[in-house]
Amino acid sequence: MASNKQDGQSAGARSNDDIGVSTRLDLYRLQVEIRDCEKRAYDLFLQNLIKGTSHLSLGQEAVAAGFGVAMEKGDKSFCTYRGHAHTLARGAPMEGVLGELMLRDNGLMRGKGGSMHLTSVEHGVMGSYAIIGAHLCIACGSAWRAQYLGDKDVTVCFFGDGTTNIGAFHEALNFAVIWKLPVIFVCENNLYMEYTPIGDVTAVEHPAADRAAAYGLPRILIDGNDADVVYRTAEAAIAKARDGGGPSLIECLTYRHSGHSRADPAKYRPPGELETWLERDPIKIYKQRLAEFGITQEQIDAIDAESMRKVEEATAACKAAPQAPLDLLTADVYADGGWAWRN
Amino acid sequence: MAELSYRDAVIRAISQEMERDNNVVFLGEDVAKAGGVFKATVGLYETFGPKRVRDTPISEQAILGAAMGAAMTGLRPIAELMFSDFAAVCFDFIANEMPKLAYMTNGQLTCPVVIRTGNGAGVRFGAQHSQSIENWTMMIPGLKVVAPSSPVDVIGLMAAAVRDNDPVIFHEHKALYATKGEVPDGEIIDRLGTAKVLRSGKDCTILALALMVPRALEAAEALARDHGIDAEVIDVRSLVPLDTQTILGSVAKTGRLFTVEENPRLLGWGAEIASIAADEAFWDLDGPIVRITTPHIPLPAADHLEDLALPNAPRIVDKIVRVMNG
Amino acid sequence: MSDTVIMPQLGETVAEGKILTWFKAAGDDVRTGDKLFEVETDKVTVEVEAVSAGTLSEIRVKDGETAKVGAVVAVLGGAAASRPAAETSATGSLPVFEEVKTAAGQFGRARTQDGIALSPLARRTIAQNGLNLDDVIAHARSRGLRRVSEDDVRAAAPQERSAEPAAPTTPAAGAVPLSSIRQKTAERLAENWRTIPHVFQAVEIDFTGVEASRSKHKDSFKASTGFALTYLPFIARAACLALKAFPNINAHFDGKTLRPSAGVHLGIAVDLNHNGLVVPVIRDAEDLTVAGLAKAMGRMIAKARSAKLTADDLSGGTYSITNNGAFGTLFTSPIINAPQVAILSADAIRMRPAVVETAEGQFIAPRLMGVLGQSFDHRAFDGAYSAAFLSRLKQIIESHDWSTDLSE
Repeated sequence: MASNKQDGQSAGARSNDDIGVSTRLDLYRLQVEIRDCEKRAYDLFLQNLIKGTSHLSLGQEAVAAGFGVAMEKGDKSFCTYRGHAHTLARGAPMEGVLGELMLRDNGLMRGKGGSMHLTSVEHGVMGSYAIIGAHLCIACGSAWRAQYLGDKDVTVCFFGDGTTNIGAFHEALNFAVIWKLPVIFVCENNLYMEYTPIGDVTAVEHPAADRAAAYGLPRILIDGNDADVVYRTAEAAIAKARDGGGPSLIECLTYRHSGHSRADPAKYRPPGELETWLERDPIKIYKQRLAEFGITQEQIDAIDAESMRKVEEATAACKAAPQAPLDLLTADVYADGGWAWRN
Repeated sequence: MAELSYRDAVIRAISQEMERDNNVVFLGEDVAKAGGVFKATVGLYETFGPKRVRDTPISEQAILGAAMGAAMTGLRPIAELMFSDFAAVCFDFIANEMPKLAYMTNGQLTCPVVIRTGNGAGVRFGAQHSQSIENWTMMIPGLKVVAPSSPVDVIGLMAAAVRDNDPVIFHEHKALYATKGEVPDGEIIDRLGTAKVLRSGKDCTILALALMVPRALEAAEALARDHGIDAEVIDVRSLVPLDTQTILGSVAKTGRLFTVEENPRLLGWGAEIASIAADEAFWDLDGPIVRITTPHIPLPAADHLEDLALPNAPRIVDKIVRVMNG
Repeated sequence: MSDTVIMPQLGETVAEGKILTWFKAAGDDVRTGDKLFEVETDKVTVEVEAVSAGTLSEIRVKDGETAKVGAVVAVLGGAAASRPAAETSATGSLPVFEEVKTAAGQFGRARTQDGIALSPLARRTIAQNGLNLDDVIAHARSRGLRRVSEDDVRAAAPQERSAEPAAPTTPAAGAVPLSSIRQKTAERLAENWRTIPHVFQAVEIDFTGVEASRSKHKDSFKASTGFALTYLPFIARAACLALKAFPNINAHFDGKTLRPSAGVHLGIAVDLNHNGLVVPVIRDAEDLTVAGLAKAMGRMIAKARSAKLTADDLSGGTYSITNNGAFGTLFTSPIINAPQVAILSADAIRMRPAVVETAEGQFIAPRLMGVLGQSFDHRAFDGAYSAAFLSRLKQIIESHDWSTDLSE
C-alpha cells in the first residue's frame, strides 16, 4: 500500500500530511489487531489450548504494521519465530494464525509447523524461522531470484537484536551488499537477547545500526514504536530496493512487554524499565497521532470493536476446529506430497 | 559415444541442464572465473555468463541459504560446497532448513536445490578435506542423496537431481575426477532411486558406492579368477531414495551380502542397508552380512597410511573369501 | 454462566504448580485482569490474572497446595461446570507405517540341540522342499560341519534315497482304524450331494510347459526322493497360486457364513485301490514348491494306502484336488467335501490336435492337453467368479516358470 495524499481531510487535520488518513487508519488497525490477537494467544496459552511454545510481540506492533502497510502484495517477507505479528501484518487471517498456534487442522499449516514456523505464501509470508540467522541468508536468495528474473518484488527480512551476533547475519549482509540485492534487513532491537541485555553481549552499542558501516551501508536507527516513523523508513528502503539500489539495514528501537517466551515472566528487567516503555506503547502513541490528524474517537472505537470481534470469531472457530487427521503425519515430506525414501 | 572424464562429465551435466532451463543457476566459491578448484566447472562462466554462474565469498551459509531462498521463489539453483567436509559449516541448511521446509509449511513451499560437493579421500588432503559424508546426509528425512561412480552416471543423475523438486545432495568423488568412461551423445537423463547391477553373479552380492565401485569390480574379477566365487556387484548410486528392490532381489538370488564403504565404521551407509536386509531378507541369507569399511579413525594425510585405511581390492577379496569359506 | 479457573501452562516443560497465595476469597467478585493467585513452579513465581469475570464460587486448590497444569483450581459463577475437553485426543486406531517389510515365514530353530547352526536359507530350503531335518543334520555331522548352509542341505538330499518313502515307521499315536471306510465315505458323499448346489465348470489347458519341466526333472527327482514327479504337484502349485487371487474359493461355508482361510490346506483325494476314498490334507500348501508338494503328496498317498492316516491328516482342508487321469477320462464332475466350497478334478493329459498361433499364422499341431474341472458351491459364489479362477489357473499352468520350484 503506497502512501497517498488524502483530499478533503476532516477539520482539525494537520496539513502537509505525507502519509494520509487512509494509510494511518490501516496502520492503527493493524497494530490493534496484532495486539488483541497476541493477548488472546497469551490467554489461550495459559489455558493450555496453545501448546509448545509461543513468542509474543506485545509492544512491538509498530514495526510489523509499518512494514506491513508499506509492502505491496507480491513482496516477500521472512521473519523469526517471533512472527505472529509479521504474519498478521501481511494480511494472514487470525483464524489461521491462532489455529496454527493451537495446532488445529484450520491452522495456516494444519498444525504441521506450529507457532515458530508460520507461513502463508498466499500473503507473501515465506516462513518464520526458528534457527537464529538462517533466514537472512534465505532472504538473500529470494532477492537474488527477483534480480535474476527481473521481478519487481522486494524481500523484507525481520530479526531481533540477538541475531546480529551470529555468523549467518554477517554472511548475509556481506552477500546482499556485494550482489546489490533487493532485500531489506529489519532489526527489532527490543534490548534483550532472550534473557540477557543485548548490551552485555555485543561489541557495539546499536547491534545492527553500528555495524552497517562494516558492510558499506548507511546507519539507520529509528524509533520502532512510532508507526509513522517505521512506515516512512520502510517506504524509502523498499523504493530503493525496488529501483535496484540494493539492500538496507534498519534498526528499530522497541521493547517487548512480556518475557522472551511464555516460559519467561521477565523478572530480569530492572525495576521501572517496563513502566517507562509502557509510556511509549506504540498503540498509545498512535491513538494520540490519529487524534492530531482529526480522526474521531468514534472511528477509533469502531476499529477497536471490530478488532475484538475478529478475535472472538477466530477464537471460537479455532476452539471448534478438530486436530488434523492422523495421516497428515507422513504428508509432504517430499514435494510430491509423499514420504517414500525407498521402493 | 565419447570417452569423457568424470570432471568433464560434471561440466557437461550442468551445461545440459542450464541450456534446457533458464531457471537453472549455479553459485559457489571459485566456480565461475576459475572454473572450480578441481576444474570441474571450467567453461560454464564463459558459456552462460556472469548472471547465471556466480562466484561467492567464503560464506557456506550464505551460499546454501541463497540457493534455498531462490529455489523457494522460482529458480532451480545448483550450489557447490567445495569440499563435502564443509557441510559441517552450513549444516543448519542441510539438516534443519531445506529438508524440513515442505513438511513444516504443509506443502506451501518446496526447495528444488542441488548441492554438489567434492567428497571422499584418496588425494592426500588430510582429515578435514577427505571425508565421505554420504551417511551424514542419508540420515536426514526430506533430503535426497546421490553418489555417482562414473561419468555417464554423473550426467544422468545430475539431470535427474536438477529436475527433482526436492533438495538433493550430489556427492562427487574427488579421486574419481580424473577417471574416464564411455558416454553416449545427446541428452542423458537417469532416475534417482535406482541402483545398477554392474556385474551379474550368483554366489554373493557386493554393494558399493563411488570410489569403492571400481574397487569392488576389481575384487570381483579376482574372486572369480582365483577363488571360483562368482560375485554380483551393485553400484548403489542413490542412497535416498534407496533401490531396496534391486538390492534385496540380488540377496534373494545369492544369499550372501557384502558392502564396501569408504566412510568410517560407525553408522556408514551400509549399516542401514544391512539392517534392512537382515529384516526383510532374513530367510534368504546363507551367511552373515559383512561390511568392509574404513576403520573408525580420522584419515591421515600420509599416502601409504591413507591407502591402508580405505578398502581396496585385495582387502575386499581377502575378507569375502575368508567369510564365505569359513 | 459458570467458568473454571485452571492451573495455567507456565512454561514449556512445567508440569505442575504450587499456589502460594490466593488474592481472592470464595464469594469475591472477579473482573477480567484481576490478580487471582500467586503460583510457584520449579522455574518461576508468577501472579496469575483472571481471563474471565464472575463470582469466585469455589476454591478447590488452596494456599500451599499443588496441582497439575490444566487442573481446575477454582470455579467462577454458579454450579461447577467442567470446561469441555478442547483437544481431540489421538486415540482410536493409530496409523501403522511399516517402513520395512519383515520377512514372512517361520522355518525352524537356528540351532540344533547340540549346537549345529543352520543358516536361515538352509532352514527355509528344508521346510519348503519337505526335506527331513534329521537327515540333513546327520549328513552334516558325518562331514564334521558345525554350520549348515543351503549347499549342505542340497548335498544331504540324496541320503533321502535310503529313507522310507512312507511315513514314520511306528504308527502315529491316535491312528484311526478305517475298517468301515467305504461306508463312511458313502454317507458323507450322499450328504454333500444332497445339501450343496453343485455347479461344474471346466477349462482346457496346454501342459506342454509343465511337461518340459517335468520330463527334465523326473528322473533325478525319483532318484533323490523315491517319489514319482507327476502332473499333480504342478497342478496343486498352480492352484495354490491362483487361490491367492480368489480367496472365496479357499474357504469354508456353513450355509450362512463364508469364511475364507488364510492358508491353503490342500486335500488330495486318494483312491484306496477301489476300496474307498480318503482326502488327506497338506497344511499350508502355499508355502511348498512343486518339489515340496510332490514329496508331501507322495507321503500322504503312501500313508493312506498303508492305513496310517491320522484324524489330523484328514481334517482342516480348505480346497481339494482329485486326480482321475490314470484311466483316460476327459473330465469328471466331482463331489465337494463340505465345509469346503469347491473341488478340482484333473483328468487325462494326452496329446490332442490344437490350434497354435505362430508368426506365420495359425496351425494345427499336437499339444499335450488336459481338462481341469471344478465343482463349486453356487451358494458361496457365482459362475463368473469360479470361471475367472479357472482362467487364472490355466494361465499359471501354461506360463509359469517352474525352474525355482524344482531347484535348478
